[in-house]
Amino acid sequence: MAAVTRLFSGSRCLLARSRSGISALQRAAGRSLGPGAARLYSSENKVKITFINRDGDSIVAEGKVGESLLDLVVEKNLDIDGFGACEGTLACSTCHLIFEDHIFQQLEPVTDEEMDMLDLAYGLTETSRLGCQICLQPFMNGMTVRVPEAVADVRQAMDMGKSS
Amino acid sequence: MKDAAHKGTISSLARMAQSLKLVNRTSIFRNLTEVWAESMFRNPETVIKRHKSLADVPGPSAASFLTDIFFRRGLSRLHELQLQGKAKYGPVWKASFGPILTVHVADPSLIEQVLRQEGKHPIRSDLSSWKDYRQCRGHSYGLLTAEGEEWQQFRSILGKHMLKPKEVEAYSDVLNDVVGDLIKKLKHHRSQNPEHVVKDISSEFYRFGLEGISSVLFESRIGCLETTVPEETEKFIQSINTMFVMTLLTMAMPKFLHKIVRKPWQKFCESWDYMFAFAKGHIDQRMADVAEKLSRGEKVEGKYLTYYLAQEKIPMKSVYGNVTELLLAGVDTISSTLSWSLYELARHPKIQASLHQEIQGVLQGRGIATAADVAKMPLMKAVVKEVLRLYPVIPGNARVVSDRDIQVGEYIIPKKTLITLCHYATSRDEKYFTNPNDFHPERWLKKDESHHPYASIPFGFGKRSCIGKRIAELEVYLALSRILTHFEVKPENPECLVKPMTRTLLVPDREINLQFLER
Repeated sequence: MAAVTRLFSGSRCLLARSRSGISALQRAAGRSLGPGAARLYSSENKVKITFINRDGDSIVAEGKVGESLLDLVVEKNLDIDGFGACEGTLACSTCHLIFEDHIFQQLEPVTDEEMDMLDLAYGLTETSRLGCQICLQPFMNGMTVRVPEAVADVRQAMDMGKSS
Repeated sequence: MKDAAHKGTISSLARMAQSLKLVNRTSIFRNLTEVWAESMFRNPETVIKRHKSLADVPGPSAASFLTDIFFRRGLSRLHELQLQGKAKYGPVWKASFGPILTVHVADPSLIEQVLRQEGKHPIRSDLSSWKDYRQCRGHSYGLLTAEGEEWQQFRSILGKHMLKPKEVEAYSDVLNDVVGDLIKKLKHHRSQNPEHVVKDISSEFYRFGLEGISSVLFESRIGCLETTVPEETEKFIQSINTMFVMTLLTMAMPKFLHKIVRKPWQKFCESWDYMFAFAKGHIDQRMADVAEKLSRGEKVEGKYLTYYLAQEKIPMKSVYGNVTELLLAGVDTISSTLSWSLYELARHPKIQASLHQEIQGVLQGRGIATAADVAKMPLMKAVVKEVLRLYPVIPGNARVVSDRDIQVGEYIIPKKTLITLCHYATSRDEKYFTNPNDFHPERWLKKDESHHPYASIPFGFGKRSCIGKRIAELEVYLALSRILTHFEVKPENPECLVKPMTRTLLVPDREINLQFLER
């Protein structure tokens, strides 16, 4: 486990650099989907997102094109504990979300500011981004994002173990 | 009942497995936690006993630490005491800082663990002489001293204007104007010296810092970089210095001592009085200008922080409190970072040459960099990261978790305990940085296996992290890129080593004198 964590932290820089290249390619591919794909999008620029919460439960929410995933969570008052603590000012990483591969590759390239915060995120994966930096686009319709595991308070866990 | 107990163990194990990941970054800890997890599986009761309490935390006796502080210049060597403490007691130890018992934490994984448990409204320290002063004078708290909902309100208002990258870009022009004046001032100074030496660069950067933060706060200039500096600005800078020196002293002294040795508290208050008066004067002036414009029917546009604050439904006293704190927070921080950057670049001509090349490559003959330009300068960012690793302006930060006990490594730390985060110790730890005392910016461009993201966090992390981070970074990048475009810097005397010293903040222990050669 520790080795995996290290591997990630070591490769984050490389990852960041390679991301922009991939996403440009993928965006081109996305555009070539043509009018057939466009029909899949719901009307009035609405995008449907499924969040897999920490407990494994799914939350489905519909957002507007252009708003961020953080905006969506706040606006719809989705029950994701501690999400977006710094209110989208890129000072923490509590809006960390894990994307599906094919979606991740189409996302806008990560900035240095987001990368610095992701570096400090808990449970970072190869397809992690911060929800405050990802704005909804039509191609995201129907995507699933996963909320990473929370940092449990060990003390509480143990107390429960003891009392039960 | 047995089943329920079993279920409880399983679920608590699952939760524990999650939290274990957090601390898995260091191998020592991994071994510890693995053993611990195994024993947990056998019998959760035994694990409880494995946790140690505050009483078990090692540390020096109160008397020996006090001797260090008061008789061995300990206050200015607090950052070195972090290294000594870690070497002697390990990554967690306790010490009594005057009347305050504090637990020092000097390992990145443990710092991470503390910060992840800081809660909804993180508290830096609830035993602060800064708060005492405000209560004593009836002033309002600002972002640095407020807590709870009040703090959250200030943070929300200011954060959106100070931290969002797009918003920060908007300060480029005002900051570049200030940088322009800094270059003129440096040219003036170097022309006064036959060897083109500028003495004590920090003092010039103090003025630059104050002018910079004022321009961001008031969108007007206050003349710190004129040939003759207004007396009030010099006095303001002096007040900040005195206040920082007295901060540690007044906190280390038990309250009853304040009544016997009155000087420190008195000087501390006088410095704050001056700073509050200075800020109030400038705010009132700016507000009067706006009112006059409005009365003449002119349009008023504001792109400065005081304006944003005044727009909100917060009492005027809170505007004064916040602006005072923002003003002082933008001075030493900028000055130290710029001074150390040039000091190290002067001593490392090859790195300076590479950085100069990077700047010229991006600017393509244009003289003035923009926010978009500096975003394309990876070496510049690496240089500043390395400078802040070696000389973190805040060498030790603190947290208080007020509502619950928290786990830190093998200890359970009771609620309300002051936890000192030893950033200086972690950022100079050879376990995370090879040759930790060397200036080696390339390490940030190619992070190796030993990299730990929490080993160097000069601006902190999370919702109570430095709110000025992005403005400060932009200011430093813009200043460095223009200084290096105009000058090559060399040490006046390569033999003269400058070391850091603690004055609440980490500052150079002597003057830094550099030769500025025109390019």
